[in-house]
Amino acid sequence: MPLDVEKFESEALVAIAEAKDRAALEEVENRLLGRKQGEFTLLMRGLSELAAPEKKSAGARLNELKGKLVEAVNQKRAALESAAWEQISETEKVDLTAPALPPRKSGHFHPSTLVQRDLENLFTSMGFAVLDGPEVESDYYNFSALNIPETHPARELQDTFYIKGHNNWVMRTHTSPMQVRAMQKYGAPLRVVVPGKCYRNEATDVRHEHTFYQFEGLVVDEGINFSHLKGVLEIVAKHLYGEKTEVRLRPKYYPFVEPGVNGEVTCFTCAGKGCRLCKNSGWLEVFGAGMVHPNVLIEGNIDPQKYTGFAFGFGLTRLVMLKYGIDDVRLLESGNMKFLEQF
Amino acid sequence: MKVSFNWLKDYVKLPDSISPEAVAEQLKLSTVEVESVENLGVQLENVVVGKILNCGPHPDADKLKVCEVDLGTEKTSIVCGGSNVAEGMLVAVAKIGAKVKWHGEGELVTLEKATIRGVESSGMICGADEIGLVWFFPKKDEKEIVDLTKLKFKPGTPLSEALKLNDAIFEIDNKSLSNRPDLWGHYGIAREVAALNSRAVVPYTVAAIKPGKGVIKVEIENAENCSRYMAVAVEGVTVGPSPVWLQQKLVAVGQRPINSVVDITNFVMLDLGQPLHAFDGKILQAESGGYAVGVRGAKPGEKFITLDEKERVLPEGALLITSSDKPVAIAGIMGGLDSGVQISTATVVFEAANFNAALIRKTSTALGLRTDASARFEKNLDPSLCEMALAKAVKLLLEISPGAKVATKIADAGTVKELKGSFEVKADFFTRKIGVKIPKKTIIEILELLGFTVKSKEVSFQIGVPSWRARDIDCPEAIVEEVLRIYGYQNIPGSLPAFSITPPEENKLRTIERRFSDILVEELSCTEVYNYSFVSAENIKNLGDDASKYLELDNPLSKERPFLRRHLLNNLLENVKRNIDNYSELRLFEIGRKFLPELSGQRARQNSDELLPREVNWLTAVFAGKKNRNFFAEARGAAEAIFRELNLELKLEVPKKLAPWLHPARSGNITVAGKYVGSIFELHPKTLKNFNLDCSVAALALNLDELIAFCGHEEKYEPIPEFPAVERDLAFVIEKQVLNTDIIREMLGQSDLLRKVELFDVYEGVNLLASKKSVAYRLTFVHPERTLTTSEVNEVVEKIKNSFESKWGVEFR
Repeated sequence: MPLDVEKFESEALVAIAEAKDRAALEEVENRLLGRKQGEFTLLMRGLSELAAPEKKSAGARLNELKGKLVEAVNQKRAALESAAWEQISETEKVDLTAPALPPRKSGHFHPSTLVQRDLENLFTSMGFAVLDGPEVESDYYNFSALNIPETHPARELQDTFYIKGHNNWVMRTHTSPMQVRAMQKYGAPLRVVVPGKCYRNEATDVRHEHTFYQFEGLVVDEGINFSHLKGVLEIVAKHLYGEKTEVRLRPKYYPFVEPGVNGEVTCFTCAGKGCRLCKNSGWLEVFGAGMVHPNVLIEGNIDPQKYTGFAFGFGLTRLVMLKYGIDDVRLLESGNMKFLEQF
Repeated sequence: MKVSFNWLKDYVKLPDSISPEAVAEQLKLSTVEVESVENLGVQLENVVVGKILNCGPHPDADKLKVCEVDLGTEKTSIVCGGSNVAEGMLVAVAKIGAKVKWHGEGELVTLEKATIRGVESSGMICGADEIGLVWFFPKKDEKEIVDLTKLKFKPGTPLSEALKLNDAIFEIDNKSLSNRPDLWGHYGIAREVAALNSRAVVPYTVAAIKPGKGVIKVEIENAENCSRYMAVAVEGVTVGPSPVWLQQKLVAVGQRPINSVVDITNFVMLDLGQPLHAFDGKILQAESGGYAVGVRGAKPGEKFITLDEKERVLPEGALLITSSDKPVAIAGIMGGLDSGVQISTATVVFEAANFNAALIRKTSTALGLRTDASARFEKNLDPSLCEMALAKAVKLLLEISPGAKVATKIADAGTVKELKGSFEVKADFFTRKIGVKIPKKTIIEILELLGFTVKSKEVSFQIGVPSWRARDIDCPEAIVEEVLRIYGYQNIPGSLPAFSITPPEENKLRTIERRFSDILVEELSCTEVYNYSFVSAENIKNLGDDASKYLELDNPLSKERPFLRRHLLNNLLENVKRNIDNYSELRLFEIGRKFLPELSGQRARQNSDELLPREVNWLTAVFAGKKNRNFFAEARGAAEAIFRELNLELKLEVPKKLAPWLHPARSGNITVAGKYVGSIFELHPKTLKNFNLDCSVAALALNLDELIAFCGHEEKYEPIPEFPAVERDLAFVIEKQVLNTDIIREMLGQSDLLRKVELFDVYEGVNLLASKKSVAYRLTFVHPERTLTTSEVNEVVEKIKNSFESKWGVEFR
């Protein structure tokens, strides 16, 4: 063996130790241990020229050396890696205040959709079906079936759009026509909610719209009573405005319910203390409700002796305005992006 | 309607500890909507009656006087400029700290001690407008002060007390009274207040009228329009100002005192809710002696001059009160100019009647004439009120006008004089309806306080409804309401019904609405809009559509938008117009109804042949922006995203017939299983011009009702390929008119190893002939049983190249 193994070893170890970075280390590794032309590999190949007894001791020595070199390279690599990790807090710094690029703009749901979905989810979780009804409705379903006869003053309270050429077709003035449609279609027991677009022939201003949305609910079953109506409304109120919200009912006349009530909830901005929003009353009026009038059950082919029911209706548009603090109802159907992009 | 708290207290004895606000709150929670409570006395705080002991000249001003005034407990000196100020006069004195309006104008000012031209003045002797009492003390000249001398009050008495203005006035929302005819007078409200405080209302007792000898003949043409008509004549009447108590009552609730007779009719109406009419007797004198009144419908084109000096053309059938067939009043609405009571009137005929509510409402609406009387009559009054009201009016007139005497018998025509109702209700009915057991004793007590009669039987109640409630209490449930509202809704705890856990039927429309709008909003940056269902003729014309196909409102709010939309597009284009100046690109969509009268929708009523117009749910999205951008591709991208969600392949077909607003080369119908479900299109430049839009707009329209059928498609697992796929990209220039689908079909036809071909780039423009496009496809090769070799793939690619060269003359480099 012509070569000074000791010298080779010390020089090799120095070369490994002095490698500045991973690339340099790799180069050194390759130069020494490369499969084809590595200096160490050549050394190993030289073994074959030796005689048997020498070969054995030299072989053992070289194997030991190889172990040392590999170990040294691995250690050096680990050391270089750790050193590099020490640096990343500087080298891999990002600007935490900068937004992701390119900017990705999300679209916007209409605020009424958001509130409607929320209520639909609440009621479906309680086992209510969600129904839709026609917006051009017959005066039968819109009025007569709901115990509002031809001469009743209630027809005067809501000024109605009529369709030309069809004097018994109206733009529905509320979602309640679906009460009788649902009863006729499904019978009792019944648990439904009906969100929908409604129309009234009313001049528009900051607080009035001829087009608005309601959210109606109807429950018919054996043994349904007034306390149940209050219980369900309390659930909705707490869902919308928090656990501490209370419901206050006051008499209100709707021909299709008896008793009929008007429902208020604790004002959520002042917690009932009185503020501008609730006109210092501490209460916000948000729904109308009542026990389904027996005449309405009869129109729906349901036996009022056996079944009772309650119905309630929220002004969905009003809920939206309250929730987001919208002060002009006309914005909702304005198609104005400056408004819509806020949701 | 204004209600006086003091007036209520005439009929319900309330302890002083119950404030008007507390009563208003009770009424709000159990009876009617009280909008406000106004304390009349508040404004008159620190204003007292003063007596002028001495009235001397001011040393430095001709028009001012220096008065020494007795204020009861003190004497003070006040400088006064009143034109009528005199020694011995009783006046209204605003003391230091009172709030007054200087010369009746502007904000209230708190009075302070002042020195007026060198003389000290502690307070102010007030003119009526300075303390808000003009209605009580009308001024004859600008500088007049209130003269209380005749009223003989004691100096020092607070003015509000002296004038009985220590009252609170409830403003009640008339709408909340619409179904309660019994609440249109103080007595009815008092009955509620009494029940709410567990007290009996003071009985309304009036002695029957002692009739005279004469006769009033009443002739009713149609009893359906006038169920009761009572009348009586009083002779020897002196018409003059009403006594102070009566004026005070009227003034407190906002009625202007006119004369004793008119004031009496107004008082009785406000007291009982029954409107009365007073005629000058000589108008109703019959030729045969005595008096005669007729009640009949108006003839076509009949005219009449009402009290307000307006000549009115009466709607046919409007109910009239006549004398010798000549109208003297529009029944229940307004009297005639010539038939009313004047100062000179010596004989008064009082009318107390009950008219058909619907007819009164119809007439009053047609005439655009609403009065306190018509507001009450149209609520369906209790006919038994007539008797009491008439007796009260006569009694008051005899008291006020000492020489007066009843001249006739009391006429009482008509067929319905009292209403009755009766229900037998099972004892547990209340508990079943309410869900809470209210003690039997309480139920009976509440009902009796409200005037119902209750006979307790073994297992039921027999409940009699009083005449004044017989119309609105029309079922046993209405009696439950009576008990509930007096018992207090707040005393009923809420509870939850127990339901079967059967899951509700799914609303599939809502499911796809949500899936689609989630994609549009969250993935594709679209913004949802809500639009009106109404469109204008101009808008329809701009679109190029035919307005005669549209449903139309009979009574549109705005004459400009009478039509019910057949497309969501029209309004969306208006949305684009509204916003495009502020946004370089817009992505808007709406989900809503189209109204199609030529198709049938739901039944107008059960088992009826009449069908409502079809309403179809559509989703329409518009993509708008600079002219050179390809918004068609964006609309298509939206459709692809939605179809990916449905696991459906998007197929476009060239429309057979082009609607006028469609771009002729950039419009495609979407079909699924051969069914038309929507379209993707760019707007025709002509349409854009009509809408005044200087941009490019593409749209995606989807029929949601049709798509529901395809939203339940199943997704199935396919085994993961065992051998690796090989991908190759192929780019070439080809004639524009060669369609993508044809290219793909041609490629796939060359070998079974080619599994997928996808277009990933298209370029048209500079460096290319106008008729050419440069396209790039990604080809995916798979062998089902082994790894593909390069030469196998190359072979297929060569085959494709050859076929493209021979078929379309494509050159590959």
